[in-house]
Amino acid sequence: MAPRTAVIGTGRARRPGATGGDQSALERFFSTSAGRIGSRLVLVALILLVWEYAPVPRATRFWMSSPSLILGTLWDWLFDGTIWAHLGSTLLVMSEGYVIGCAAGIGFGFLLGFFPRLSRVLAPLLASFYALPKIALAPLFVILLGVDNSSKVALVAVTVFFLVLTSTIDGVRAVDRNTVNALVLMGATRTEIIRKVLIWAALPWIFTGMRIAVRYAFTTTLLAELIAANRGLGFLIELSSGNFNTTGAYAAIMVVIICSVLLTELLSRLENRMSHWNQKFTPRSAPPSTAIA
Amino acid sequence: MNEMSTARAVAGAAGTPAKIRLLRAEKTFQVRGQDIEALHPTDLDIRPHEFIALVGPSGCGKSTILNMIAGLMRPTAGEVLYDGQAVTGPNRRVGYMTQKDTLLPWRTTRDNIRIALELKSHATPRAEADDRVRQMIELVGLKGFENHTPAELSGGMRKRAAMARTLIYEPETLLMDEPFGALDSQLKLLMLDQLQSLTQHRRMTVVFVTHDLGEAITLSDRIVVLSARPGRIRAIHEVRLERPRDVFKVRFTPAFSEQHERLWDELKDDIIKGTDV
Repeated sequence: MAPRTAVIGTGRARRPGATGGDQSALERFFSTSAGRIGSRLVLVALILLVWEYAPVPRATRFWMSSPSLILGTLWDWLFDGTIWAHLGSTLLVMSEGYVIGCAAGIGFGFLLGFFPRLSRVLAPLLASFYALPKIALAPLFVILLGVDNSSKVALVAVTVFFLVLTSTIDGVRAVDRNTVNALVLMGATRTEIIRKVLIWAALPWIFTGMRIAVRYAFTTTLLAELIAANRGLGFLIELSSGNFNTTGAYAAIMVVIICSVLLTELLSRLENRMSHWNQKFTPRSAPPSTAIA
Repeated sequence: MNEMSTARAVAGAAGTPAKIRLLRAEKTFQVRGQDIEALHPTDLDIRPHEFIALVGPSGCGKSTILNMIAGLMRPTAGEVLYDGQAVTGPNRRVGYMTQKDTLLPWRTTRDNIRIALELKSHATPRAEADDRVRQMIELVGLKGFENHTPAELSGGMRKRAAMARTLIYEPETLLMDEPFGALDSQLKLLMLDQLQSLTQHRRMTVVFVTHDLGEAITLSDRIVVLSARPGRIRAIHEVRLERPRDVFKVRFTPAFSEQHERLWDELKDDIIKGTDV
């Protein structure tokens, strides 16, 4: 987390007006990483203190809860296993749906990519489904598959499927025509073209689709759990709110925040690694001299 | 000027059937509903084992001719024959080195050059393939860059890798579209030398598009001069220089200069006209 925000911070410091030698002591303080992290901690501590000790009426206190109560709840959940059960369920649903969606999306995407005629027939149908916000299917899936995990897995899988499907098809289509022709003239068969060119050329596109799909999978899982479920983080929020247990709702939201921060961090690392990989395999379009100019 | 009959007469004089034949082949492109004539109906006979260069200003249909011989483009009218047979689809008897290299970005230089030998149509035992790849890499001077991806090579290196990739499976006919455009002049001479010895040794038929008259004279048996759009054959020059030619010295001989002068006279009007358009 720190290095990424550090980059953003430097960018701000270099904004016109903030540049030059006339930086104030405060600006210099914020431009060191210790300074930034320190001020962040102070800010968070201030918010928590106000939240905890603000002199508010009893009713208001009930609705806004307090950091100590929330921490206490988290503590209890941590040790009575509540959190692990719900977190585990959410992650399980998310990953099951994700894996199924990716596998189907890649498989079907290749099929449509390799057989353009088939894709021309199905394209309008797929487009209309693609446009549909998948969460609209959630109640239907509950009726069809029950309130258990399978309805959520299905919803996540459908969401992920369309994202990965589209990027796979786009990837196969974006293959340079001349590259394919060169192989055809060498005597490559259709299968050889698919095996040696199309699949490889589509890989960066597929990875991009898969990366985007992770966030969607997480969001969809939570939304599905909010709508109808009997376990999961979304369910925990919904259950606590339903019982007017604001502390519980805040605690569950805390867990979601921690999860999404970790997920974002994981993805940005993956992204970094992938862009290295992409650079290595993308021919330079301009010679270095023009790049400098 | 009656270029058609010249072409026919030349082929007839050789007494062998043409390897490649353009019969009133023409190409018109549709650009935003407008017809653009890229190649005027053209007749051309290319003899077996001949090294023929196509020269002319930009947009005179040189690449179009190569694309039609490769079967990647159908003539709008007329015909292209290869060994007497009409070319109607991708022509797998030719190796085509396009202007823009089509190396696979995820493969290393070595694996890019090897690719043809991995195909069923040129299936080669592993050890032999390794051997040929090594020879090719040495031949085009890419030793030390075997494990680089195309993105890590310079423009000239990529051209050489593309050439190696085309030459390694020894197609009977070689189509080359400005293969040495990005090379510095020293390296270009070295490459011309390699190309000459390889194609002469394997008795390949070569159709070679270039802007560089010197290059064309050094390598070719005949030079086809095309005029600006719509492309049409303006003249065909026989290059009367002894073979084998020393690519490093031939350009300093009187015969070479004389040829160069005649070609330039032929081309300069068109090039000037071409820039006006």
